[in-house]
Amino acid sequence: MTRRERRNLVNGLLFASPYIVGFLAFTLYPLAATVYYSFCHYNVVTPPVWAGLDNYREMFALSGDNLFWKSLWNTLYFTVFSVPLGLALAIGLALLLNQKVFGISAYRTIFFLPSIVPLVASSVLWLWVLDPRSGLINSTLAQFGLPQPGWIADEYWSKPSLVLMSLWGVGGAMVIFLAGLADVPETLYEVAELDGAGRFRKFWNVTLPMLTPTILFNLVMGLIGAFQYFTQVFVMTAGRGTPNDTTMFYALYLYKMAFNFLRMGYASAMACVLFLIILAATLAVLISSKKWVHYYGD
Amino acid sequence: MKTYLMWAGMVLGGACLLILLWPREASSPEEDRALAEGRTIITYWDRHTGHEYDARVDLIEEFNRSQNEVYVRTLAIGPRIEKLLTAISGGAPPDICSMESSILASLGSQGCFTPLEDFMSSEPSLNESRFFPHVWKMVSFDGHVWAVPTTTDSTCLLWNKALFRRAGLDPERPPRTMKELDEFAAKLTIKEGARIKQIGFLPWLPWDETTGWGMIFGGTWYDEEKDRVVCGTDPHIIESLRWQQQYAYNPDRKDNKPYSIDPRWVSAAQGGGFGAYQSASNPFYTGMIAMIREGEWQVEFIRKYAPDLDWGVAALPQPEGAPPVAYSPNAVVDAIPKGSRNIEAAKAFLRWFYSPRANGGPSPASDYCFAIQNVPPRPEEARQERFIGHPKFSVFVNEVLTKPAEPFPVIPAAQFLMEEMERQRGRVTAFEATPEEAAMEIEKNTNAQLDRIRMLQGRRPQ
Amino acid sequence: MATSEYRHPFRVHWAAHLSLLLASALFILPFLWMLSTSLKPESRIFQKAGEAPQWIPSTDVRTVKGHNVVTYTGEDPALKGKSGVDFKTLDNEQHVLVIDGKEVKAWTEEFEIRQRIGFHWENYTQAFERMDFIQNLRNTLFICLTVVLGTVISSSLVAYSFSRIEWPGRDVLFVAVLATMMIPYEVTLIPLFVLYRNIGWTGTFLPLIVPAFFGVPFYIFLLRQFFMGIPQDLSAAARIDGCNEFAIFWRIILPLSKPALATTALFQFLFEWGDFLNPLIFLQDDRQYTLAIALQQFQSMHESAWGPLMAMSTVITIPVIVLFFLAQRTFIQGITMTGLKG
Repeated sequence: MTRRERRNLVNGLLFASPYIVGFLAFTLYPLAATVYYSFCHYNVVTPPVWAGLDNYREMFALSGDNLFWKSLWNTLYFTVFSVPLGLALAIGLALLLNQKVFGISAYRTIFFLPSIVPLVASSVLWLWVLDPRSGLINSTLAQFGLPQPGWIADEYWSKPSLVLMSLWGVGGAMVIFLAGLADVPETLYEVAELDGAGRFRKFWNVTLPMLTPTILFNLVMGLIGAFQYFTQVFVMTAGRGTPNDTTMFYALYLYKMAFNFLRMGYASAMACVLFLIILAATLAVLISSKKWVHYYGD
Repeated sequence: MKTYLMWAGMVLGGACLLILLWPREASSPEEDRALAEGRTIITYWDRHTGHEYDARVDLIEEFNRSQNEVYVRTLAIGPRIEKLLTAISGGAPPDICSMESSILASLGSQGCFTPLEDFMSSEPSLNESRFFPHVWKMVSFDGHVWAVPTTTDSTCLLWNKALFRRAGLDPERPPRTMKELDEFAAKLTIKEGARIKQIGFLPWLPWDETTGWGMIFGGTWYDEEKDRVVCGTDPHIIESLRWQQQYAYNPDRKDNKPYSIDPRWVSAAQGGGFGAYQSASNPFYTGMIAMIREGEWQVEFIRKYAPDLDWGVAALPQPEGAPPVAYSPNAVVDAIPKGSRNIEAAKAFLRWFYSPRANGGPSPASDYCFAIQNVPPRPEEARQERFIGHPKFSVFVNEVLTKPAEPFPVIPAAQFLMEEMERQRGRVTAFEATPEEAAMEIEKNTNAQLDRIRMLQGRRPQ
Repeated sequence: MATSEYRHPFRVHWAAHLSLLLASALFILPFLWMLSTSLKPESRIFQKAGEAPQWIPSTDVRTVKGHNVVTYTGEDPALKGKSGVDFKTLDNEQHVLVIDGKEVKAWTEEFEIRQRIGFHWENYTQAFERMDFIQNLRNTLFICLTVVLGTVISSSLVAYSFSRIEWPGRDVLFVAVLATMMIPYEVTLIPLFVLYRNIGWTGTFLPLIVPAFFGVPFYIFLLRQFFMGIPQDLSAAARIDGCNEFAIFWRIILPLSKPALATTALFQFLFEWGDFLNPLIFLQDDRQYTLAIALQQFQSMHESAWGPLMAMSTVITIPVIVLFFLAQRTFIQGITMTGLKG
């Protein structure tokens, strides 16, 4: 190890030391406990009893827990639709809002509003918007004589309804893209213009590549969030995953196992499986990112 | 130089702000006085929030004023069960907590609470003989009494008299048999093509009531002797599911009844107990549905949200030959968690709350029931004029006073059973399962859950 | 001064304006609905089936004697569209209306109570009476400010290590940071509670505040992404000038990352402002409760006080909207690289 390398290692560890200390102090024990519980029968209130692979066996047994598979499927469905659509919408909005136009501050605030309004208020609103009989969408559709789906109350529309709802909360990702756009150096556009690039070429060759670091961030965080999608569906369906378990998402089922049915061991095993799934997806994204993410600094 | 000044200003300003906001010692003047007097301070966690919590706090303040030994400090923890579970599991529980009987059933069997049988049998007001037998069942299982019941409930049939009149029915005469219920439902259901203008009756609106209907039909969900869910082959329960199924419209079948409704039309907003349920646009208040099965709290709700509604209330009809039964599924109870450091002080509070007042007045517990309009769990108090003197509330109270009542099955897998019933009923009314299959699924799945719990208790080897 | 045309490849176009306007209407909906609900009486909060939603709060027009002013909408051609007074109720469903001085009987759905715009401010008074607003606000602000401070300092330090220094094991540790976000909170909650209880922190603000001073994964990742985009030449030049790593971090990297730091501070503030579960679990006294928990006082087991609930939601949302409105300017002015082109 050269002196330079040694100094880098020391500096790297020093700068990372808050996290390392915090991880050892506050995060390691809960994580280790979760892994341990996943091999136990644990009803939350009495000490865990070692159970070997029982929880995992029950989960993966073909004739076993149908709801586990159903919740996994629901979650995959939700992730596959909500993450890419959300990213595209957030980028689009950020581009629109990255202009010096009158009222742009107000627009930005408005698009971020759904992320600020307390959940109780917005979920009541959504229940009303999506109500099959008298909701905003269906009464509008009825006026044009169009077919009116049952939305959140209908087995086939419940998940698309939730995807739709999630799109409405893209304000957070949009703000991060805005911060990313603010970092795009003017010089790059100037150079591109000298090369005679049109608007589309400038977007494709300058803006988009310069946004890739924030796209990576929003993609990974989107995946992590979508796989653990919980709060909205917990409030909207009163924690029941209705109708007919079509909105029983993985994290909701896990919550019910842990706190309603007091099967913390099984819930921990589910958490470990989910962890591996998300980790695999994230690693795939991170590894591929070497090909498509461009850091201006490099 | 300027930058340094700016930085110094920012740091100073931030520090001032933080000092200003720095949390003070969390205590109130009353509590400081209580500490100075050398009282024992105990904590009470209420599962309720809102006006139900306020009613409780008023009574607890009365207790704090009434003596100088114990001071009760209250906290509203709300419906998220994680709060209580982490506290119990983490060894930092409150001294008393309130909860629904279904949660007591699952936690009590794990020994989370201090057994109260000795305390309660020595208290004249808390003797077993004082309580409704079905309420006593909810708190006594696995060989101990785990909690003191605070309130219970009762379900009846509510009908909209105006809609009866318009359908040519006698507004003062509710259906008395299941056959009449179906007939009335047919007369009160109005469809315009595919659109439903008015629902006569829907067994699972506003809540899934599969348990209750099973019992009304004379079925048995759970065999206490064998500690088994036994609904799988119970003909009455299968019959009750078949009856519910007739209320679901199936486009692929020819035997739809005039009162059959496409279950999907019952929206999340109206079925889920969220938003519109607690408002003037509750479908029963707006005349969207003519008859519903509901609990006693509706007396207060209708007074508040639909004061003009002309409605009646009567006992639920039962099939011919079924033994008369009142369905009183739940209770709210007070328990002392294991790990409480002030058990004696907690008992002193419970003694005061559940006994008649020193001046001979009614117990604070019955005042609480009255304040939140719930049925008292002790027949003597349920017979108080303020409960049976009310023309409508009395119908609910009389149900539990005059008929043998059945609670929701008292098993540690109560929560699971509740959801499993709703799930399987949903499959039946979506024509994805026959009543026989559904009943068997409920039995099989719940017993598997029960086995797991009992195995951990060491009571039954796997 | 750079023009917007450079930064944004599409020219500001009327079509863009139009689409912004339409889309923003959809996004402002929840706030408007909350605001309007907070000004309605309890009976008007949910419209009845088939009724059009009411966006502007209204109040019944009443005569001196307290009767409602009504408009007849039934079938009788002689009365159609005429207005009068709702006089008395017969048999609980037929009403006697006085129209043009004549008494007429009508069913409830045959007439309409006339309304005018009217705001019901009493929801706000009730909301403030219900909770110890100042105490809850103090607690919330204290938690928010300390957490934001801790998060920005610690996360930027850690992010610097992950983006600007090459050291063995760095990428593995980075993935580990991400990995801690992949375990659902439900399963770690109980061991975490036990941990805090063992060091005597439950019932205090410490479990909510202290962890923020040790780096928050979400923001470590965010800041890393931004730090990666700053040219390495800058660091190299500074090193040649004899700067140590901390000086580079403090004098070069941080000033160049203002938009990202502002985003971090803003997001963390918003998160803590609205966080419900952590304070609920770790606080043990209602005098420590935050605004988000105090909101649940408006909902009881069977019913909710929607008016006051929406009023208080509005009260706690507006400061955040103002904060965001002011903070978002940071994202426009963050022309970090313009000075570097030479």
